[in-house]
Amino acid sequence: MKRTKRGQVHMSETIAVLFIFFILVLFGSIFYYKYSEVSFNQQQDELFARRAIDTTTKTLFLPELLCSKGDAEAEQFCFDMMKLKSAESVFADNKNYYFNMFSYAKITVKQYYPEVPDGGTDTWTIYDNQKPDTTKTKPTYFIVTLKDESQQSNGEPTYGFGVVTVEVYS
Amino acid sequence: MRRRAQMEMAGLVVIVILITLGILFMAQFALKDEPDKNIFTRKELAASTMAAVMKMTVTGCTEGTAQFPQIEGDLLDDCAVFGDVHSNYICEGKPSCEFLQFKIEELLDQTLGVWGKKYHFVSEMVSNNEEFLYIDGYNAVTGTGGHCQDRVRDTSGDFYLPSGNGLVRSVLYVCE
Repeated sequence: MKRTKRGQVHMSETIAVLFIFFILVLFGSIFYYKYSEVSFNQQQDELFARRAIDTTTKTLFLPELLCSKGDAEAEQFCFDMMKLKSAESVFADNKNYYFNMFSYAKITVKQYYPEVPDGGTDTWTIYDNQKPDTTKTKPTYFIVTLKDESQQSNGEPTYGFGVVTVEVYS
Repeated sequence: MRRRAQMEMAGLVVIVILITLGILFMAQFALKDEPDKNIFTRKELAASTMAAVMKMTVTGCTEGTAQFPQIEGDLLDDCAVFGDVHSNYICEGKPSCEFLQFKIEELLDQTLGVWGKKYHFVSEMVSNNEEFLYIDGYNAVTGTGGHCQDRVRDTSGDFYLPSGNGLVRSVLYVCE
């Protein structure tokens, strides 16, 4: 009788240990699952952000917008106002070409300085291709110089201050 | 009996090791570094912003030699030479130093400030490190903005200008 009771105690101990062990394993599994899920989402976010940066970089170095001076090297972070004003129609006429470059995105340029008088245009949407079932958008902003050859001072063009906004859709 | 106690001790040690490993794993997960993309955008942003500010030309200035003076080449030079005492340029009714302080802050507040970035802009004489232009986005009313000193910050890089008063170094810092 004494021996049986001791066996029962041993059995309870083993069950308790196994129970705790499985609880720990369960916690570990849940934690790992959550970690994998968060890690996957983070990776997706990073890929999405990388796409936003790629699209922005392509926009910033687009010859259709960049300030050029004959054969000289193009000016960095600078958009030519004359090119910008006609970009909307150029982009619309070559939709497929630019879709291959930018995919689903919206690119706008806003002039902050010099201030545009009332009724004037200070924002140009040069590319807009929204994804119908979009779930996420990520805007990236960059500040650019806006070169205006039509307003010259001592033969030199004037430079304004603008922001290019690139929104990508996922 | 002694052997059993030793085994229980070993079991406890195993549990402690497992819990420690779990905590370390969680800590590593929680203290993960900032993604590279934020650093990339901030760095490029500082450089492009500074380049745009420096290259910008100003309309509505009277006196001075240039009809549309450039921020770096004309107004900053004028400010470095004359300071608050005198100015060759009067833009929007303000002398060069006052105008630069006002206009650069306004433009950066409309852009970097609105996007939730902190910044500070400094122009100083290289010879004696004397700052003659210091702009940060601190808004005393809203309590937002502020400079990037003692923070993880990105720089536009140094912009040097040989002014009539010596070499001027300008730099813009951007941080979260």
